[in-house]
Amino acid sequence: MDTFLQVTAYGLLQGGLLALVAVGFSLVWGIMNIVNLSHGAFVILGAYIAWEVQGWFGLDPFLGMFVSAIVLFCVGYVIQRYLINLIVNGPVFITLLLTFGINMALIQGMNLVFTADFRSIQTSYGSNSFEIGNIRIPLVRLLAFLLAIVITFALVAFVKRTRTGISIMATGMDRGAARLMGIRARHVYALTFAISAALAGMAGTMIATIETFDPSKAGKFTLMAFVVAVLGGLGNMYGALVGGLLIGLVEAWAGQYLSGTWVNGIAFLVLILVLIFRPNGLVGKAFYAARVEI
Amino acid sequence: MTTMNKGIQGLKGKGSQRTMLEGALVLIVIALALVIRTKLPGGELRAVSTIFMFIALSQAWNIIGGFTGYASFGQVVFFGMGGYFTAVVMLKFHFSFWLALPLAGVFAAVFAALIGQPLLKLKGHYFAIATLGVAEGMREVVINLPDLTGGGAGISVPIAGTFAKTQYLGDAGFYLLFLGLALFAVGIGTLVSRNKFGYGLRAIHQNEDAAAAVGINTVRSKVMAYSLSAFITGVVGASYVFQQVTIFPERLFDVEITVLMIMMVVIGGSGTVVGPLLGAIGLQFISEYLREHFTNVHTFILAAIIILAVILIPQGAVNYFREGRRTKDYSLLANIRRYRL
Amino acid sequence: MSTVPILETRGLGRRFGALDAVSDVSFSVNQGEILGVIGPNGAGKSTFINLVTGHIKPTSGQVLIDGKDMTGQAPWDIARAGVARTFQIVKPFNGMTVRQNIAVGIMYESHGTNRLSVALEQAEAILEEVGLGGSGDRMPGELSTADIRRLEFAKALATKPRLLLLDEVMAGLRPTEIEPSLELIRTLKARGTTVIVVEHVMKAIVAVSDRVLVLAQGKVLMQGGAHEVLADPRVIEVYLGHRYAKRQKGNA
Repeated sequence: MDTFLQVTAYGLLQGGLLALVAVGFSLVWGIMNIVNLSHGAFVILGAYIAWEVQGWFGLDPFLGMFVSAIVLFCVGYVIQRYLINLIVNGPVFITLLLTFGINMALIQGMNLVFTADFRSIQTSYGSNSFEIGNIRIPLVRLLAFLLAIVITFALVAFVKRTRTGISIMATGMDRGAARLMGIRARHVYALTFAISAALAGMAGTMIATIETFDPSKAGKFTLMAFVVAVLGGLGNMYGALVGGLLIGLVEAWAGQYLSGTWVNGIAFLVLILVLIFRPNGLVGKAFYAARVEI
Repeated sequence: MTTMNKGIQGLKGKGSQRTMLEGALVLIVIALALVIRTKLPGGELRAVSTIFMFIALSQAWNIIGGFTGYASFGQVVFFGMGGYFTAVVMLKFHFSFWLALPLAGVFAAVFAALIGQPLLKLKGHYFAIATLGVAEGMREVVINLPDLTGGGAGISVPIAGTFAKTQYLGDAGFYLLFLGLALFAVGIGTLVSRNKFGYGLRAIHQNEDAAAAVGINTVRSKVMAYSLSAFITGVVGASYVFQQVTIFPERLFDVEITVLMIMMVVIGGSGTVVGPLLGAIGLQFISEYLREHFTNVHTFILAAIIILAVILIPQGAVNYFREGRRTKDYSLLANIRRYRL
Repeated sequence: MSTVPILETRGLGRRFGALDAVSDVSFSVNQGEILGVIGPNGAGKSTFINLVTGHIKPTSGQVLIDGKDMTGQAPWDIARAGVARTFQIVKPFNGMTVRQNIAVGIMYESHGTNRLSVALEQAEAILEEVGLGGSGDRMPGELSTADIRRLEFAKALATKPRLLLLDEVMAGLRPTEIEPSLELIRTLKARGTTVIVVEHVMKAIVAVSDRVLVLAQGKVLMQGGAHEVLADPRVIEVYLGHRYAKRQKGNA
């Protein structure tokens, strides 16, 4: 029983991080109908930036993640505004190819600059943990988890309550009408993508504090973002949270109770089953169901 | 009425002339390929074989992605399954390669028909991602069945001695094999582009409701297109495995193979036969050249080429020039506007 | 002429959640008849066509074609049974030339040719018939609104239908452009084709219909001769509101 609880706790903590990885991805997909295959590369890039910042200025990663966020915000804005916006109305495989190309360039760029060695961000409190009953909770994982939750809720509040957020939503629902209302779609798209990239950067920083990273891990995070976003329903930010926790749990349990490396296949199995049986996601209907096709 | 008849006869005349011209062209290409074979050293032969392989693969993807409009992002699953099928039946059941080859295609096609039933109901990104999930998941299945597939440690095909039903073909032999596959795939592509089935697929691509309304069984057509493309992909995978001898799940289910297929089709011109053909030759050639001359940054340059190509000529080279001929407008700037926000 | 109606629906209905888009529609059309279907926006006219052609599955009732139960069959099965349709929002095959658009329908018709070259030749006659002669090599994107509607019409004709459902093929056309369409419908009738015309253009309905069916809020309000239906106070009420209908009554 204790093992089960311990595994469950780990799963939930990991799930919070997955949610943070996925929430921006889901937002971009829901608002702009773009599946960003370079999302995982943003996560890794965020990790490298925080790592560099810590190396140079000794900045704690929980502060360094804001530097990651700012840098990635700018990178994301430029990529959407001057690359993706140019083919946003194209067929599916065009957008997929473009973001894959961006992914390739980013990963190769990171390989050249940072080499392909494993890295991680070390902190003085990195190995601290405390116990609740018989369950051990590592401090950094808990912090990362809590931050992930807070950021997700902050994002929801931003999108639902601020003027900018509402214009993002409006553009996602009906771009034509939004433009008639005076919303600059190009800017809003770039902004949405930038926010998504910034969140990926923060997630990357937190991941770097609890596990090792290198450029080749980018693909894994993109896939995870896929699975979680589909589970939660596209563009549904709370959905991403639920989906992330769910995948975190399923993977943790599978890792404990399945033999061999079957655990790696679990996420894909879940993905395919959800796509076939609940293509709108597990968590109710995503808002995009109301989107007007342009 | 008479002018119309004349027009139609003119059309017919042009058609048969075109067929003859194409026939002659194909013969010349085959003759050229055979002559080249005797002149090239082993390494170069292998490089050209790889080009042939990607010609076949891109034609296969074009059937489901280009004609039918379903972006199969997990196409490599058929490559891997055809390949592993071949390895297993050759090693464990002592099949000859020549028997395993067509069976691998059939195996992949049947698998495609099975997963196609539910998956082809999905549209757009959903289909793309579901197929990607199948490919990634299947790799895990292969890794986790070590008794059958050798698991992550890989599996080797018997190629020489008494164990081997079929002796290794050697560089020259594989050159011929892949040339044959490329011709086969281009032939299938040409046939599909000009027959009833292919027009049905195009109609489905343009508008599925309208296609169904004129009597096209969209479900069956899509599954058939998927199976056909899986057959070709599976056969190519089988040949690749025999060529490589020892294979690993990571390589045989590598998402990059899928992406290469898609890139070749899209950059060349999806939905045409010539487009994927040129795309495969061009991209593979550029990729080899870059690998040789810019070892460190070749992926980087390749990525830049993809990004530029997708933005500048999103409809692919062949379609770009065809449209240009129609509208007399070759301006790249005007071309970018089509998908721009 | 057979006594079995070419199309009959019995209590046909479709619910979307809590909304009854179409409910309890029972009627029949005989071979060679032209039936007009009218009704205000949202009356369920398009849903009704979608139910008959299998694009939407009914939640209740039956669709019989030539007396055979075809309820819930796939659209292609309905098409191959000789029922063709046009779409209110036109759906041309944009990547093909106008001639190729028609050839697809010709090849997939149940007794049609399987050869592309033959189908392309046969397409010419249909293009002439709808007034698109000479536009065969153009792309749908280059056509005018009127010509796009003609293409939609021609695509349906390509399947050699015995029953043709026209969903607002005359919407947005100028009066001078409507006349040829009406002429074509009459020609089809003379050939023995049954036509169901869903239309907002009342003039067109009156001009060609043998009988008119009025839908309102998903139900059959009434059916009868064109003039009789248009004079009926219930029909006036659903179109123009009950106060207008009352005033009309008062005047009469």
